Amino acid sequence: MFPPTSELVQLILFTFFGIMAIAFAIYIVRAKNVFYGAVSLAFLGVSIAALIALEAPLTYGIYSVFHILLYVGATVTFLAVSLVMFKDLEVKIPKGSIGILAGGAVSVLFLITVYISLSQVTVTSLKPINFTILADNILETYWFPLIILIIALLTTLIEAISLARRD
Amino acid sequence: MEVLGILGIIISGILIGIGFYGLSSTSNIIRVLLSSEIILNSSILFVFSFSSIVGMIYKPIIFSLFAIGMALTEVIVAFAAIILYYRQKGKLEVE
Repeated sequence: MFPPTSELVQLILFTFFGIMAIAFAIYIVRAKNVFYGAVSLAFLGVSIAALIALEAPLTYGIYSVFHILLYVGATVTFLAVSLVMFKDLEVKIPKGSIGILAGGAVSVLFLITVYISLSQVTVTSLKPINFTILADNILETYWFPLIILIIALLTTLIEAISLARRD
Repeated sequence: MEVLGILGIIISGILIGIGFYGLSSTSNIIRVLLSSEIILNSSILFVFSFSSIVGMIYKPIIFSLFAIGMALTEVIVAFAAIILYYRQKGKLEVE
Protein backbone atom coordinates (compact mmCIF):
# COMPACT_ATOMS: atom_id res chain seq x y z
CA MET A 1 0.00 0.00 0.00
CA PHE A 2 2.76 2.48 0.99
CA PRO A 3 6.24 2.57 -0.55
CA PRO A 4 9.19 1.66 1.74
CA THR A 5 10.54 4.45 3.96
CA SER A 6 13.73 5.03 1.94
CA GLU A 7 11.77 5.39 -1.30
CA LEU A 8 9.28 7.72 0.40
CA VAL A 9 12.11 9.92 1.73
CA GLN A 10 13.69 9.88 -1.76
CA LEU A 11 10.37 10.99 -3.29
CA ILE A 12 9.90 13.79 -0.71
CA LEU A 13 13.47 15.04 -1.27
CA PHE A 14 13.05 14.83 -5.04
CA THR A 15 9.83 16.87 -4.90
CA PHE A 16 11.49 19.42 -2.61
CA PHE A 17 14.50 19.91 -4.90
CA GLY A 18 12.20 19.98 -7.94
CA ILE A 19 10.18 22.84 -6.43
CA MET A 20 13.43 24.59 -5.48
CA ALA A 21 14.77 24.25 -9.06
CA ILE A 22 11.57 25.72 -10.53
CA ALA A 23 11.55 28.56 -7.96
CA PHE A 24 15.19 29.47 -8.68
CA ALA A 25 14.56 29.33 -12.44
CA ILE A 26 11.59 31.72 -12.08
CA TYR A 27 13.74 34.03 -9.95
CA ILE A 28 16.47 34.06 -12.65
CA VAL A 29 14.05 35.27 -15.35
CA ARG A 30 12.19 37.70 -13.06
CA ALA A 31 14.98 39.24 -10.93
CA LYS A 32 15.41 43.01 -11.30
CA ASN A 33 19.20 42.72 -10.97
CA VAL A 34 20.89 40.13 -13.21
CA PHE A 35 23.72 39.67 -10.67
CA TYR A 36 21.26 38.05 -8.26
CA GLY A 37 19.96 36.03 -11.20
CA ALA A 38 23.49 34.70 -11.80
CA VAL A 39 23.84 33.81 -8.10
CA SER A 40 20.47 32.07 -8.29
CA LEU A 41 21.81 30.02 -11.22
CA ALA A 42 24.29 28.44 -8.77
CA PHE A 43 21.42 27.30 -6.55
CA LEU A 44 19.59 26.00 -9.63
CA GLY A 45 22.72 24.00 -10.52
CA VAL A 46 22.89 22.52 -7.01
CA SER A 47 19.18 21.61 -7.18
CA ILE A 48 19.67 19.91 -10.57
CA ALA A 49 22.69 17.99 -9.19
CA ALA A 50 20.59 16.84 -6.23
CA LEU A 51 17.75 15.73 -8.54
CA ILE A 52 20.17 13.72 -10.71
CA ALA A 53 21.72 12.09 -7.62
CA LEU A 54 18.29 11.18 -6.26
CA GLU A 55 17.27 9.54 -9.58
CA ALA A 56 19.79 6.75 -9.00
CA PRO A 57 22.35 7.44 -6.24
CA LEU A 58 24.62 4.47 -7.01
CA THR A 59 24.63 5.11 -10.77
CA TYR A 60 24.41 8.86 -11.39
CA GLY A 61 25.87 10.12 -8.09
CA ILE A 62 29.31 10.59 -9.66
CA TYR A 63 27.91 12.95 -12.29
CA SER A 64 26.26 15.10 -9.60
CA VAL A 65 29.67 15.68 -8.04
CA PHE A 66 31.05 16.78 -11.43
CA HIS A 67 28.02 19.00 -11.99
CA ILE A 68 28.64 20.85 -8.71
CA LEU A 69 32.41 21.03 -9.24
CA LEU A 70 32.48 21.97 -12.92
CA TYR A 71 29.21 23.76 -13.51
CA VAL A 72 28.46 25.47 -10.20
CA GLY A 73 32.09 25.79 -9.11
CA ALA A 74 33.48 27.11 -12.40
CA THR A 75 30.86 28.32 -14.85
CA VAL A 76 28.42 30.02 -12.52
CA THR A 77 31.15 31.47 -10.31
CA PHE A 78 32.82 32.91 -13.42
CA LEU A 79 29.50 34.42 -14.52
CA ALA A 80 28.73 35.99 -11.14
CA VAL A 81 32.24 37.40 -10.65
CA SER A 82 32.42 38.76 -14.22
CA LEU A 83 29.14 40.65 -13.80
CA VAL A 84 30.86 42.94 -11.28
CA MET A 85 32.57 44.63 -14.27
CA PHE A 86 29.30 46.11 -15.52
CA LYS A 87 27.67 49.24 -14.15
CA ASP A 88 23.96 49.08 -14.78
CA LEU A 89 22.70 45.59 -14.08
CA GLU A 90 19.11 46.62 -13.40
CA VAL A 91 16.70 45.10 -15.91
CA LYS A 92 13.17 46.16 -16.76
CA ILE A 93 10.71 43.45 -15.73
CA PRO A 94 8.84 42.50 -18.89
CA LYS A 95 5.09 43.00 -18.96
CA GLY A 96 3.00 41.04 -21.42
CA SER A 97 1.79 37.54 -21.87
CA ILE A 98 3.53 36.65 -25.18
CA GLY A 99 6.60 35.32 -23.37
CA ILE A 100 4.48 33.31 -20.91
CA LEU A 101 2.45 31.90 -23.81
CA ALA A 102 5.63 30.96 -25.71
CA GLY A 103 7.14 29.28 -22.64
CA GLY A 104 3.91 27.45 -21.84
CA ALA A 105 3.55 26.26 -25.45
CA VAL A 106 7.13 24.94 -25.48
CA SER A 107 6.57 23.11 -22.17
CA VAL A 108 3.31 21.52 -23.32
CA LEU A 109 4.72 20.47 -26.73
CA PHE A 110 7.82 19.03 -25.06
CA LEU A 111 5.81 17.02 -22.52
CA ILE A 112 3.39 15.73 -25.20
CA THR A 113 6.34 14.58 -27.34
CA VAL A 114 7.95 12.83 -24.37
CA TYR A 115 4.62 11.21 -23.39
CA ILE A 116 4.25 9.77 -26.91
CA SER A 117 7.87 8.54 -26.82
CA LEU A 118 7.54 6.96 -23.36
CA SER A 119 4.74 4.66 -24.56
CA GLN A 120 7.26 2.98 -26.89
CA VAL A 121 10.10 2.32 -24.42
CA THR A 122 10.61 -0.62 -22.12
CA VAL A 123 11.35 0.16 -18.47
CA THR A 124 14.67 -1.31 -17.30
CA SER A 125 16.20 -1.20 -13.82
CA LEU A 126 19.58 0.48 -13.35
CA LYS A 127 22.73 -1.27 -12.11
CA PRO A 128 25.44 0.43 -10.00
CA ILE A 129 28.16 2.16 -12.01
CA ASN A 130 31.47 0.48 -12.85
CA PHE A 131 34.21 3.12 -13.12
CA THR A 132 36.51 0.91 -15.20
CA ILE A 133 33.86 0.61 -17.93
CA LEU A 134 33.18 4.37 -17.72
CA ALA A 135 36.88 5.21 -18.15
CA ASP A 136 37.21 2.70 -21.02
CA ASN A 137 34.18 4.25 -22.73
CA ILE A 138 35.60 7.79 -22.46
CA LEU A 139 39.16 6.90 -23.52
CA GLU A 140 38.43 4.28 -26.21
CA THR A 141 35.00 5.00 -27.70
CA TYR A 142 34.70 8.77 -27.18
CA TRP A 143 38.36 9.81 -27.56
CA PHE A 144 37.68 12.15 -30.49
CA PRO A 145 35.02 14.33 -28.75
CA LEU A 146 37.37 14.44 -25.75
CA ILE A 147 40.17 15.87 -27.92
CA ILE A 148 37.75 18.42 -29.45
CA LEU A 149 36.65 19.47 -25.93
CA ILE A 150 40.27 19.88 -24.78
CA ILE A 151 41.07 22.02 -27.86
CA ALA A 152 37.92 24.10 -27.28
CA LEU A 153 38.86 24.73 -23.65
CA LEU A 154 42.44 25.65 -24.61
CA THR A 155 41.29 28.13 -27.28
CA THR A 156 38.87 29.63 -24.75
CA LEU A 157 41.73 30.05 -22.28
CA ILE A 158 43.80 31.88 -24.94
CA GLU A 159 40.80 34.06 -25.81
CA ALA A 160 40.21 34.95 -22.16
CA ILE A 161 43.87 35.92 -21.69
CA SER A 162 43.87 38.08 -24.85
CA LEU A 163 40.64 39.77 -23.73
CA ALA A 164 42.02 40.47 -20.25
CA ARG A 165 45.23 42.01 -21.69
CA ARG A 166 43.38 44.33 -24.12
CA ASP A 167 43.39 48.03 -23.13
CA MET B 1 12.31 4.28 -9.32
CA GLU B 2 10.27 4.91 -12.43
CA VAL B 3 8.19 7.59 -10.63
CA LEU B 4 11.28 9.75 -10.08
CA GLY B 5 12.17 9.48 -13.76
CA ILE B 6 8.71 10.69 -14.82
CA LEU B 7 8.79 13.47 -12.18
CA GLY B 8 12.20 14.52 -13.46
CA ILE B 9 10.89 14.70 -17.03
CA ILE B 10 7.96 16.88 -15.89
CA ILE B 11 10.33 19.21 -13.96
CA SER B 12 12.65 19.45 -16.96
CA GLY B 13 9.66 20.30 -19.19
CA ILE B 14 8.64 23.13 -16.83
CA LEU B 15 12.24 24.41 -16.70
CA ILE B 16 12.48 24.43 -20.52
CA GLY B 17 9.29 26.54 -20.61
CA ILE B 18 10.72 28.98 -18.05
CA GLY B 19 13.95 29.19 -20.07
CA PHE B 20 12.08 29.95 -23.29
CA TYR B 21 10.01 32.57 -21.45
CA GLY B 22 13.24 34.21 -20.34
CA LEU B 23 14.65 34.09 -23.88
CA SER B 24 11.57 35.57 -25.52
CA SER B 25 10.64 38.26 -23.00
CA THR B 26 13.85 40.26 -22.58
CA SER B 27 16.30 42.33 -24.59
CA ASN B 28 19.07 42.15 -21.96
CA ILE B 29 22.00 40.04 -23.24
CA ILE B 30 22.99 38.68 -19.81
CA ARG B 31 19.43 37.57 -19.07
CA VAL B 32 19.36 35.79 -22.45
CA LEU B 33 22.58 33.98 -21.46
CA LEU B 34 21.13 33.01 -18.06
CA SER B 35 17.94 31.74 -19.73
CA SER B 36 19.98 29.59 -22.09
CA GLU B 37 21.74 28.17 -19.02
CA ILE B 38 18.33 27.21 -17.56
CA ILE B 39 17.56 25.34 -20.79
CA LEU B 40 20.96 23.59 -20.61
CA ASN B 41 20.29 22.48 -17.01
CA SER B 42 16.82 21.22 -17.89
CA SER B 43 18.13 19.28 -20.89
CA ILE B 44 20.76 17.58 -18.71
CA LEU B 45 18.07 16.70 -16.15
CA PHE B 46 15.91 15.32 -18.97
CA VAL B 47 18.76 13.13 -20.29
CA PHE B 48 19.24 11.56 -16.85
CA SER B 49 15.51 11.18 -16.15
CA PHE B 50 14.88 9.48 -19.48
CA SER B 51 17.98 7.29 -19.09
CA SER B 52 16.88 6.18 -15.61
CA ILE B 53 13.63 4.89 -17.15
CA VAL B 54 15.29 3.23 -20.16
CA GLY B 55 18.19 1.84 -18.08
CA MET B 56 21.17 3.54 -19.72
CA ILE B 57 24.16 3.96 -17.39
CA TYR B 58 27.28 5.27 -19.16
CA LYS B 59 26.05 7.22 -22.19
CA PRO B 60 24.12 9.91 -20.24
CA ILE B 61 27.09 10.47 -17.92
CA ILE B 62 29.57 10.83 -20.80
CA PHE B 63 27.17 13.01 -22.85
CA SER B 64 26.52 15.32 -19.91
CA LEU B 65 30.21 15.61 -19.01
CA PHE B 66 30.92 16.77 -22.56
CA ALA B 67 27.87 19.04 -22.41
CA ILE B 68 28.98 20.90 -19.26
CA GLY B 69 32.53 21.14 -20.66
CA MET B 70 31.17 22.78 -23.80
CA ALA B 71 28.84 24.93 -21.66
CA LEU B 72 31.88 26.30 -19.82
CA THR B 73 33.48 27.16 -23.17
CA GLU B 74 30.25 28.67 -24.49
CA VAL B 75 29.76 30.88 -21.42
CA ILE B 76 33.29 32.29 -21.64
CA VAL B 77 33.01 33.00 -25.39
CA ALA B 78 29.55 34.56 -24.93
CA PHE B 79 30.84 36.71 -22.08
CA ALA B 80 33.74 37.93 -24.21
CA ALA B 81 31.23 38.96 -26.88
CA ILE B 82 29.08 40.71 -24.23
CA ILE B 83 32.09 42.64 -22.91
CA LEU B 84 33.00 43.79 -26.45
CA TYR B 85 29.38 44.81 -27.09
CA TYR B 86 29.27 46.74 -23.80
CA ARG B 87 32.52 48.56 -24.65
CA GLN B 88 31.17 49.62 -28.07
CA LYS B 89 27.54 50.45 -27.20
CA GLY B 90 27.79 51.27 -23.48
CA LYS B 91 24.67 49.26 -22.64
CA LEU B 92 23.51 45.65 -22.29
CA GLU B 93 20.23 45.96 -24.16
CA VAL B 94 19.93 44.47 -27.64
CA GLU B 95 18.33 46.77 -30.22
